[in-house]
Amino acid sequence: MSAAEKPAYPQPVLNRKAGGRLLTDTRYWPTELWKSPWSLPRYRAGALWLAGIIIGLLAIGAGVGELARWGEKLLALLNRSGLPPAAVAWAWVLIKLGCVIGVIVANGLWAVWWERKISAHIQSRVGPMYAGGFHGWAQTLLDTVKLLLKEDVTPAAADQVMHTLAPVVAIAPCVMAFAPVLFGTELAAAKLDVGVLYIFAFAGISVIGVVMAGWASGNKYSLLGGLRAAAQIVSYELPRGFSVVPVLMFAGSLDLAVIDAAQAGYWFGFLPRWFVFYPVVGQLAFLFFLIASVAETNRTPFDIPEAESELVAGFHTEFSGMKWSLFFLMEYGYVLLSSFLLAVFFLGGGAAPLPWLVGIPSWIWMTGKAMLMMFVFLWFRWTFPRLRVDQLMDFNWKFLLPWSFANIAFAGILLFLMQRGWGLR
Amino acid sequence: MLETIAFYSMAAVAVAGALLVVTLRNTVHSALALGLSLAGVAGVFACLSADFLFAAQLLIYVGGIAILIVFVVMLLGRTTDLHNRQVNELWGAALLVCAITGAGLWRLTSFFGAGTGDTPHAAQTRAIGLLMLGEYAVPFELISLVLLAALLGAVFFSRKEI
Repeated sequence: MSAAEKPAYPQPVLNRKAGGRLLTDTRYWPTELWKSPWSLPRYRAGALWLAGIIIGLLAIGAGVGELARWGEKLLALLNRSGLPPAAVAWAWVLIKLGCVIGVIVANGLWAVWWERKISAHIQSRVGPMYAGGFHGWAQTLLDTVKLLLKEDVTPAAADQVMHTLAPVVAIAPCVMAFAPVLFGTELAAAKLDVGVLYIFAFAGISVIGVVMAGWASGNKYSLLGGLRAAAQIVSYELPRGFSVVPVLMFAGSLDLAVIDAAQAGYWFGFLPRWFVFYPVVGQLAFLFFLIASVAETNRTPFDIPEAESELVAGFHTEFSGMKWSLFFLMEYGYVLLSSFLLAVFFLGGGAAPLPWLVGIPSWIWMTGKAMLMMFVFLWFRWTFPRLRVDQLMDFNWKFLLPWSFANIAFAGILLFLMQRGWGLR
Repeated sequence: MLETIAFYSMAAVAVAGALLVVTLRNTVHSALALGLSLAGVAGVFACLSADFLFAAQLLIYVGGIAILIVFVVMLLGRTTDLHNRQVNELWGAALLVCAITGAGLWRLTSFFGAGTGDTPHAAQTRAIGLLMLGEYAVPFELISLVLLAALLGAVFFSRKEI
């Protein structure tokens, strides 16, 4: 852009220098970049940036994936170190717990930034642009620092102990629910025979924290938000659980590793045997699980518990600082959990989508599919209007639940046909 | 050793939660303590290598029933619920009932159980499923019939006259 094209409106004043010049001299307001987004140089630069980001992410991922391979060596080292076996077991559990918490926290930073970018682009804005330099990548880091420095306000009408305890009760089950989650084939913190049930069980406990928060705030809006959360989550847990039953029937196990392994291989040499490709049953189950998962995470179009046009901010109206952000860490933690579950249950987990891509490690596929599903979650939030409370309940009890039951029957028919050799197997 | 410590701490959580349910004055606190107690029972199941029972207990009791109870308490609660005592003066009778029940349970468990932590960990979900839909299919279906009747009854009694 030449000086002649400079816009007439005043330039933003950045309190920062680059190479002796004020950045405002060389930079334009970011929306200027979007004046003609499809111009060829802009397009080339964007493609290059995108390629760079993908290569960078793959490099980081490769590092993490290789580190995971060292886990067994680390365990062997711990076993040889002469510590008592109980201490080794504890240390090993703590290491794995640290890894999982790291994933959840890093996901919070990443998902909030991504959500802000996606929402901005959906609404023809640009989102965070300045913090950190490249497209505001450091925005959420700085936000976290801000939240840590904020005053922690407890209202006078609040129940002090429960007000403090509520975020803890909300976030702890979220961390525990990640124990059997597969981050790649055979790459999980714990191998559980009842993995699926375990995840659903812990994911259901968090709502107690939400209800506690709503009640303990001593605020009517908060209480209404908490009650709505309880009603909604308990209701949507049913179709969420039942929509997975066809997958469990096909795989014959509650173990996530077995479900993952059951989707290996290809039909006709190219169509992967993922459960989402099972005729009718797979697509219905996928859709039901996706909808119920969005409802479970309290996100639009199901954000009745925190409907800001009705309830201020619902159950977390009276929370501030890090207590407030723990609720959001929980929300994004459950988005990540649902994304990984969608990837494992329906999108083949660590299996490659095409036969000639088998060489690429499983955790790249798993994380890629989970991120794709996460994008769908964020996309949903910024494109759909909110449902009303009664519509929400009607939709669940009169549509989702009966059809997820019917889907189990369809799955039975399909299994019967497949065992008779009439199907694709 | 570790299993024994885990077992007894989980049992302590269950008992302490149950005691809190009856001694706390605030009904909302009591309802939450009930959830804690049920979670403690789930922990006991986990320590006894009953994976499926552990997950089912958490899913149904903590994630479902405890939340419904909290929901009802919050929705119907009066201000007096927040500070009225929930116990009366009949400590002696209560202790007697508890002692007799405890003695009976002790007799039962000492007849069946040999101790804690000696159950080998093995995957039993499949076996439970096969039993439920095979050998015990009739009782299983009967229980679901009872539940269905309860469900219909609840809908019938709570509906509005049109």
